[in-house]
Amino acid sequence: MNAPISARRPAPEALAAVMGELSARFGERAVVNASIREQHGHGEGLADAALPDVVVFAHTNEEVAAVVSACAAARVPVIAFGVGTSLEGHVAAIHGGVCVDLSQMNRVLDVNAEDLDCRVQAGVTREQLNAELKGTGLFFPIDPGANATLGGMAATRASGTNAVRYGTMRENVLGLTVVTADGRIVRTGGRARKSSAGYDLTRLYVGSEGTLGIITEVGLRLFGVPEAISAAVAQFPDLRSAVSTVIVAMQMGIPVARIELLDAVQMDACMRYSKLEGYEAKPTLFFEFHGTGAGVAEQAGLMQQVAAEHGGGAFRWATAQEERTKLWKARHDAYYAALALQPGCFGFSTDACVPISRLADCVLETREDIDATGLTCPIVGHVGDGNFHVLVLFDPDDPAERAKAEALAHRVSMRAIAMGGTCTGEHGVGIHKLDALVAEHGEAVDLMRTIKRALDPLDIMNPGKTVPLQKAEAR
Amino acid sequence: MLDSYVQAELAALLPPSALLTAPEDTRPYECDGLTLFRERPAAVALPETEAQVAGILRVCHAARVPVVARGAGTSLSGGALPDRNGLVLSMAKFRRILAIDALARTAVVQPGVRNLAISEAAAAHGLYYAPDPSSQIACSIGGNVAENAGGVHCLKYGLTVHNVRRVRALLVNGDAVEFGGASLDSAGYDLLALVNGSEGLLAVITEITVKLLPKPQHAQVALAAFDDVEKAGAAVGAIIGAGIIPAGLEMMDQPATRAVEEFVHAGYPLDAAAVLLVESDGTIEEVGDEMAEIRRLLTESGATSIRVSRDERERLLLWSGRKAAFPAVGRISPDYYCIDGTIPRKALPLVLRRTAEWSKEFGLACANVFHAGDGNLHPLILFDANREGEIERTIAFGDRILGLCIEVGGTVTGEHGVGVEKLSAMCAQFAPDELERFHGVKAAFDPSGLLNPGKAVPTLARCAEFGRMHVHHGELRHPDLPRF
Repeated sequence: MNAPISARRPAPEALAAVMGELSARFGERAVVNASIREQHGHGEGLADAALPDVVVFAHTNEEVAAVVSACAAARVPVIAFGVGTSLEGHVAAIHGGVCVDLSQMNRVLDVNAEDLDCRVQAGVTREQLNAELKGTGLFFPIDPGANATLGGMAATRASGTNAVRYGTMRENVLGLTVVTADGRIVRTGGRARKSSAGYDLTRLYVGSEGTLGIITEVGLRLFGVPEAISAAVAQFPDLRSAVSTVIVAMQMGIPVARIELLDAVQMDACMRYSKLEGYEAKPTLFFEFHGTGAGVAEQAGLMQQVAAEHGGGAFRWATAQEERTKLWKARHDAYYAALALQPGCFGFSTDACVPISRLADCVLETREDIDATGLTCPIVGHVGDGNFHVLVLFDPDDPAERAKAEALAHRVSMRAIAMGGTCTGEHGVGIHKLDALVAEHGEAVDLMRTIKRALDPLDIMNPGKTVPLQKAEAR
Repeated sequence: MLDSYVQAELAALLPPSALLTAPEDTRPYECDGLTLFRERPAAVALPETEAQVAGILRVCHAARVPVVARGAGTSLSGGALPDRNGLVLSMAKFRRILAIDALARTAVVQPGVRNLAISEAAAAHGLYYAPDPSSQIACSIGGNVAENAGGVHCLKYGLTVHNVRRVRALLVNGDAVEFGGASLDSAGYDLLALVNGSEGLLAVITEITVKLLPKPQHAQVALAAFDDVEKAGAAVGAIIGAGIIPAGLEMMDQPATRAVEEFVHAGYPLDAAAVLLVESDGTIEEVGDEMAEIRRLLTESGATSIRVSRDERERLLLWSGRKAAFPAVGRISPDYYCIDGTIPRKALPLVLRRTAEWSKEFGLACANVFHAGDGNLHPLILFDANREGEIERTIAFGDRILGLCIEVGGTVTGEHGVGVEKLSAMCAQFAPDELERFHGVKAAFDPSGLLNPGKAVPTLARCAEFGRMHVHHGELRHPDLPRF
């Protein structure tokens, strides 16, 4: 899982040409300062940093296009950067080059309440968007753990705790503005809700992790804030009963908005980190119900019945806004809570997603596998859609432990693929899952490679990520 | 005519009854649901195994014979229009439902399975397949994927692309490849989304895993009458703007309701300028709450009468009018031409007003039925092909509506696909940069260009030609391209 540090660096004269052009155009916004470059050389996953040669803070579509044009002319890699919360090494400049920081492109461009949509610049974060939507009666539901940018969320096809009700970025991006590999500004999709005109370039760029173009604006679907929301917590005697509760609820079609599993290790971590009181370190489900007053009561009643049949304890309700916020904040902080279990440790998060009919097998086998390794690894997941994460903790100074951790993470991916699932439900491929991609898709990887070559013939867009260009790159 | 070597090679792969070359045998394949365009293919193959399809593709690829895959032939855009030098590859014999996994809520089906047959088979498990194009009793799921079909319920439940998990397909050289997977997401580029709506230009689909949904416990539909079309359009905005996403939200204007009422007697008010059908589904409590809110919004928007279905029989009766709208219009006019523009919902009143004005200007009646909730218009222009000049006027009227759709930020096709019908309109909607990207995608899958040639994505040369003819608002489109 080490970032493949490449011998392929931009030629010094090519880099000099690009630097000259960038400092002329961007002045102080083209930064070569080591600490800024360091900050832009990695996301939140493994600290396999690879520093870009320069970081440019762009403000407009045209500026991004100018950076990409300069890079294309000199064949220098260009890597888009939001706020650096990705988990799979997406932003590491493994071949050097220019990092385009989009975080200052942070304007909400328009909100159309009557059409339930909006358009934002790529650097707007999900929390910022929802803060700006306050008072309109609308919200944007996709909520990965981190307060990521919407551009980054589109680029990695992110998801969150309520995908089971509202879908992932795949369903919620209506259109994009993309700077293509030759520095042109292209708009894909539109504000129309459906279109069968032309190939679906919007969805091709969603999830392409900056390897086909740089997303600079995102058109998004919005939803009405539900009339009533209530959240509840139920604790279970063992992992199997918690997972079975989820499966039965999904099978019955209870339209729950969020259903999150925390195993005993994760619950323990969250109780300590987020000071949750009155719970036990047992497998736990967090629920949230959205709808009309009567609808919510009905959903919750059904859910309670199912949980009780599987040995779940009484529901603890959180209907007041502050209580709910505290609960979901604890869930969103699960990654940090897990890291706090072993101060000084590193962690990476696996991202298996399987058909719901295989969820129990997959989670339980994975738990046994973890226990056999002796590593500390909490499990947490948006289990309503079959997606769960193992946070694999290890001591970065112990090579043997790191190897053990990497092997475990690899087995988690492969187990999911063998069960008809995927190695990544929402984090993306980055550099860490190139091999798993090949295991998952086989022949189709050839087509992905051909598309990469067609849309980025010089291989300058975030090179070395998402799709192994040479078959040898995939281990 | 096929080259005799090619014909012999195909004959070796298929039983005699599965390879048609005589004109009387190939004639039934000369058009699909868009009968304005016709072409007889050199041959029609009717394979029944994936190995046969692969063999056919290998033969055609080696001999550079174009291949047009065909499902049930219900396309409204000429997607299955044959190539005169090519082969029609009929997938009609791929009619098996291979598996239903009630727990994972998926079904694995062959491409020739009818849309409705999936829901019928899943009904035993309390499940159904959500996208429901009006042709669902006849159209095949393979064609639905190829066209990214919608339907009256896609407002809430999404288009085909949102309801398909995995597609197995053969590339132009006969190699098998799988897109997507059984779980919710899948790693890497979203090739599954590319194949949805690719109109047979990228690969030949041989197997599909669709998502099934639990049948809602309860559903009710409200029929609301308005004395003014724009008020009905505004009511649509009020409902959506209130954050309600109904299971279906359909509008019909007076010419459409009158045609329908004479045909199916669904009880639509004949004096209304427009009617809305608004459906709510879910648990009994949810439907009750939502229907009360919908009723309130409809009243506030000026509905002159509201009728809510009291039982399942009445619900189906109210829907029967909408579902029968196309054949009903077919009864009152010798010919009709269906437009498929989609616009942001906000522009609905404007587009309706203009359409009415142009209907007078062109002297052609126009019945409007549409998926109002997602802004997908289906104006049906009534004409008589035998009357001098009416075809031309019809096409000019249609082009004008589509031009307006693009102008207000919409698209020329919401769910019927481009096919051969809307190639020129594509030039107006997409800039050369985007068209180039489309060609790049096509070349990645099918560098030989043999799969369904001449459809869906216009060549830049064609757009240059189109631009020369259509100087828009005094501006020449694509001025950088050479003219011919």
